[in-house]
Amino acid sequence: MFRTASFRLSAALGLALLTSGAALAADCKSAVPDAALIGPGKLIMSTNPTLPPLQFIDQSGELKGMRVELGKEVAKRLCLTPEYIRIEFSAMIPGLQSGRWDMINTGIFFTPERAKLMYMIPYEKQAISISVPAGKGATVTKPEDLAGKTVGVEIGGFEENKTKQLSEELKAKGLTPLTIRTFDNFALAYQALRAGQVEAVVSIDGVAKEYADRGDFDRAVSGLYATPVALAFAKKDLAEAALKVLNEMKADGAYQKLFDAYGVVPTDGELTLAGPGM
Amino acid sequence: MQIWNWSGFFDYLTNPFILGGAFTTLWLTAVAIVGGLVLGFVLALMKMAPSRLLSAPAAAYIWLFRGTPLLVQLIVIYTGLPQLGIKLSVVESALIGLTLNEAAYLAEIVRAGITAVPQGQVRAARALGMREAQIMRYIVMPQALRIIIPPLGNSVNGLLKTTSVTSVISMEELLRRTQVLIQERFMVLELFAVAAIYYLVMTTLWDVVQRRIERRFGRAYQQLGSATEQR
Repeated sequence: MFRTASFRLSAALGLALLTSGAALAADCKSAVPDAALIGPGKLIMSTNPTLPPLQFIDQSGELKGMRVELGKEVAKRLCLTPEYIRIEFSAMIPGLQSGRWDMINTGIFFTPERAKLMYMIPYEKQAISISVPAGKGATVTKPEDLAGKTVGVEIGGFEENKTKQLSEELKAKGLTPLTIRTFDNFALAYQALRAGQVEAVVSIDGVAKEYADRGDFDRAVSGLYATPVALAFAKKDLAEAALKVLNEMKADGAYQKLFDAYGVVPTDGELTLAGPGM
Repeated sequence: MQIWNWSGFFDYLTNPFILGGAFTTLWLTAVAIVGGLVLGFVLALMKMAPSRLLSAPAAAYIWLFRGTPLLVQLIVIYTGLPQLGIKLSVVESALIGLTLNEAAYLAEIVRAGITAVPQGQVRAARALGMREAQIMRYIVMPQALRIIIPPLGNSVNGLLKTTSVTSVISMEELLRRTQVLIQERFMVLELFAVAAIYYLVMTTLWDVVQRRIERRFGRAYQQLGSATEQR
C-alpha cells in the first residue's frame, strides 16, 4: 500500500499542506509579549452570557453575540487564540485582579473608580432602560413613574448602582423610593418580572430592546445615565496592543460593520485607554 | 493593589447592614428547622405506616424534595407558582422552600431514630395495653431522640449555610448582603472573611446549644452509669 503512486502523492500533498500551515502560523506574530498573557498564544476573556443579543448562549450551547464576535476579532488581529470563561459579573473584577483572565469582555460600564483598578477601553455606547410587562409600557413614561415600585436588577453591576441612585433621586424629590430586589443575573430578574414578583426590571438598552422585540416585555424608558461600556485589562501592554487593533478595525470599517449588524452604537471617534496612574 | 486592608476589614465587621443579614440567616434557619422537624416527623410516621395510603405519598414527597436541588425548588416556588395563581412573597417563598426541602431530609433522620428503638419494647408495650400514641410518647421517642439529635444538629449547622441559596430569589441574607457591599470598595477577601466569621459565630453558638440538648436527653443513660458505679 505504501508503495503505490496514489499514496505517495497524497502523502506529499499532506506534508506540503502541514508545512505551509506552519509557515502561515509563523507569519502571524503576536504584538503582545508572552509576559502580558496568562497563557502564551491565548487571549482569555471573561463574559457573562445572559445578555442577548450582545453575549448569550444559543440552543446548542454555543457562545454568540456582538461582544463575543468583537472579542474573537481582537484576538485574531493580535494573533492569539480566543478563549472564553463564562462567569457571573460579580466574579469578574476579582478574577481579573488575581490573574484568571486577561480581559473582561462583558460590557462593563466605564467609571472613574473602576479605571483606578484596571485598564479600560470604552468602545460601545449604552444606557439604562426600564422594562415592564408587555402591554404596560404606557404606565411608565419617565423614571418618576417608578416611585414606590418593586424593581428587579442584576446584582453587583452598574445597573444596580444606578437603580440605587435613581431611588435616592426619587427620595430627594419627595417621592417614595424604590424597593430593589437583586438577582444573580438578568435572566432571573426578567423571570421574576414575568411572574409578576417585581413590577419592573432595570437593565441596559441593548438587552431591554431584545426582550421587547421578543414580545415578552415592553421597554418603557431608555437612554438613562448614558455611559460607555469598556473592555478591561489587568496588563497595560496588552491593553495598548488591543487599543491598536481596535482603532485599526475602526479605520478599515470592520468595527462599524459589526455594530450595525447588531443595532448597537459604537463610541464616537478614536478609542482611548484609561487606567491606574494614567 | 493591597492584598489585605485591615481597617476595611474591621469596618465591615461591625457594619449594621451585614449584622442585619446575619439576623435574617438566623431566623430563616430557626423557622425552617422547626417547621421542617414537625413536617419531617409526620412524614417519618407516614412512611413507616403499614397502610400504603400513607406510606406511598410520604415516600414520594421525600424522593422528590431530596432528589431535586433547593435552588430549583426556590425558583419554581417564587416564579413558577404565580403562573398557577399562587403568588408568594420573597420571604414566604424562601421559608416555604427551605422548610419543605429540609423536612424531606429530617424525615429520614427521624425515621432512623425511631427504627433504632428495639421492636421488642414496642410489642411488650402493646401487650401491656398501651395505645400507639402512648407508646410513641413514653417508650419510643425518648430513646429515639437520643439517636436523632447528633444528625439533627448536623442539619441545623448545614442549614445555617444553606440559607444563602435563597439569594437566588433575591432574599437579603448574610451572603447576599456581603456581595452587595463588595461593589462599594471592591474589598472581596475582607468582606468574605467577615461573612465567614459571622457564620462561624452562629454555628459555634449552635454547637453549644446542641451539646446542652444532648446532655438533657442523655440524662437517663448518665444516671444509669453512675448508679452501677456506686455498687
